[in-house]
Amino acid sequence: MSATRKILEVKGISKRFGGVQAVSTLSFHLNQGEILGLLGPNGAGKTTAFNMIAGAIRSDTGEILFEGRSLANLKPWDICRLGIARTFQLSKPFGGLTVLENVMVGSFVRTSAEAEARAEAEKVVDFLDMGAKAHTDADDLTAFDRRKLELGRALATRPRLLLMDEVVAGATPNEAGEMVHLVRKVRDLGITILIVEHVMKVIMGLSDRVIVLDYGKLIADGPPKDVVRQPDVLKAYFGERYVDARA
Amino acid sequence: MRTKITFVLGLPLLALALAIPLFVTDSYILHSMAMVLFFAYMASSWNFVCGYVGQLSLGHSAFAGVAGYVTVLLFTQLGVTPWLGMLAGGASAALLSVPVGYATFRLKGPYFTLTTIAFAEILRIWLENTDDFLGIPLKGAQGLTVPPVGGSNFLAFQFDGKVPYYYIILAMLVGVMAATAVMERSRLGFYLKAIRGDRDGAEALGVDPTRYSLTALAISAFLTGLGGAYYAQLFRYINPERNMGIDLSIDMAIMTIVGGQGTILGPTLGALLLHPIGEMVRATIGGSFLGLHLILYGIMLMLAVIYFPKGIIVPLQRLLDGRKGKRAVTRGAVKADALEGKGQ
Repeated sequence: MSATRKILEVKGISKRFGGVQAVSTLSFHLNQGEILGLLGPNGAGKTTAFNMIAGAIRSDTGEILFEGRSLANLKPWDICRLGIARTFQLSKPFGGLTVLENVMVGSFVRTSAEAEARAEAEKVVDFLDMGAKAHTDADDLTAFDRRKLELGRALATRPRLLLMDEVVAGATPNEAGEMVHLVRKVRDLGITILIVEHVMKVIMGLSDRVIVLDYGKLIADGPPKDVVRQPDVLKAYFGERYVDARA
Repeated sequence: MRTKITFVLGLPLLALALAIPLFVTDSYILHSMAMVLFFAYMASSWNFVCGYVGQLSLGHSAFAGVAGYVTVLLFTQLGVTPWLGMLAGGASAALLSVPVGYATFRLKGPYFTLTTIAFAEILRIWLENTDDFLGIPLKGAQGLTVPPVGGSNFLAFQFDGKVPYYYIILAMLVGVMAATAVMERSRLGFYLKAIRGDRDGAEALGVDPTRYSLTALAISAFLTGLGGAYYAQLFRYINPERNMGIDLSIDMAIMTIVGGQGTILGPTLGALLLHPIGEMVRATIGGSFLGLHLILYGIMLMLAVIYFPKGIIVPLQRLLDGRKGKRAVTRGAVKADALEGKGQ
């Protein structure tokens, strides 16, 4: 696998909400097969950028290319069909459906046959190690299982690029460990991953490369170890005085 | 679980329904039974989209009315057999539902409901005040009668006794329940429930909510239209108030909600419970207290919402599970988001 092949190219996207410039002319790319961490303090524009890629909101400027194809004017369901799946910050399973049935909603995007969708969903449920809960009503799951289920639904659409929003928020250390393990397993399937995360420790261990946003602008791009030492990044996270004190 | 109760409770009910005309000869009672089945059919048609996608339409009577008028007019003006007329009427209702649904499905909750009421009422008021439209004699509020052809005539959809009408609507009810069962297991059924549960989440999984809601609405309108055509044939009379008034829409919705939205058997249970109550009240108290049956429906609805927000099918399901003394149902009976939270 050539690490240089770009699966996603974000070119100068911006978004303005009234008086707030949430994202301004942001450009970055994802290489095939990598895990890219998208970092930044609260309100930096991470989720806005994320939602623009997923087609949930439209960018004011620039363009986004997936495997060379522009995503302009595509709706979320079109983008899903192209091969980009996403998870949400707040996991809301489809109530009244079991775990397996929730995953089937995802697999129906590649087939209209119920038996095929079910077989595909069963594989995904096994992959998540949730086989014992396959027939549990999704409403009865714990918060962390809901998160796993959401990942499963996304995987069932057979994406080539997975966008993950805050995967370990609110998880116990054990659960966070399990999620990190799962994300690695997903990457081993050949799926490229963009992950937005607050928890530094998680993203540092998981990402091949991280980019950092602050006030809607890209302030760093590189391997995790290097990026955390950059003064701009420290300033964004800890403030000017922290950086001055260290100097 | 749902399939189980459909069969365990549904099959004996079907056997009973099939046998009733063998014992009951009184034509008033048979007619009332046919009306119970009619309302079960209409509620099931309403449930096909509203129960699964979790939106409350109070405009479905328009589909029944339009199809009824198409059927009656085709028969009286062109001599087309009502059997074909029903299909044409259902198709007209389905066609009409697409632009209506396209405009309304982007609205949620009360806004959706109000818009559907407005649509149906506009159509009804227009019909009540239009005697002639492009040469078609609609006869306004007076309505249209279907002239008797004399005796039983299958092609003319006219029969001497009530028994044929009874079995026709019973067959239609079984048909709509079968259609619902097929839909539940299909991609459409999964997608509707996903849209009901979390619209954004469904979109991200490749579901175009408008497209699938509209597909289900068109099928639902078609089925409702068949019912409306049947209703017109049963009485050999159609007028805007009876056949497309808001009362009919409210009946469909309340029966489904009380019985259990988003289930195969729920709407029929609701009709079985509510229609006889309404009928008995009308027959005994009659004209001295008009609208009392609606007050009772309202009370039943309140009780259902308080004690069985997901319909009376839920306690029945529990009873069924309890009798078998089996493991706690992980599936938790029917978890349709009926009136609660997201459903509304």
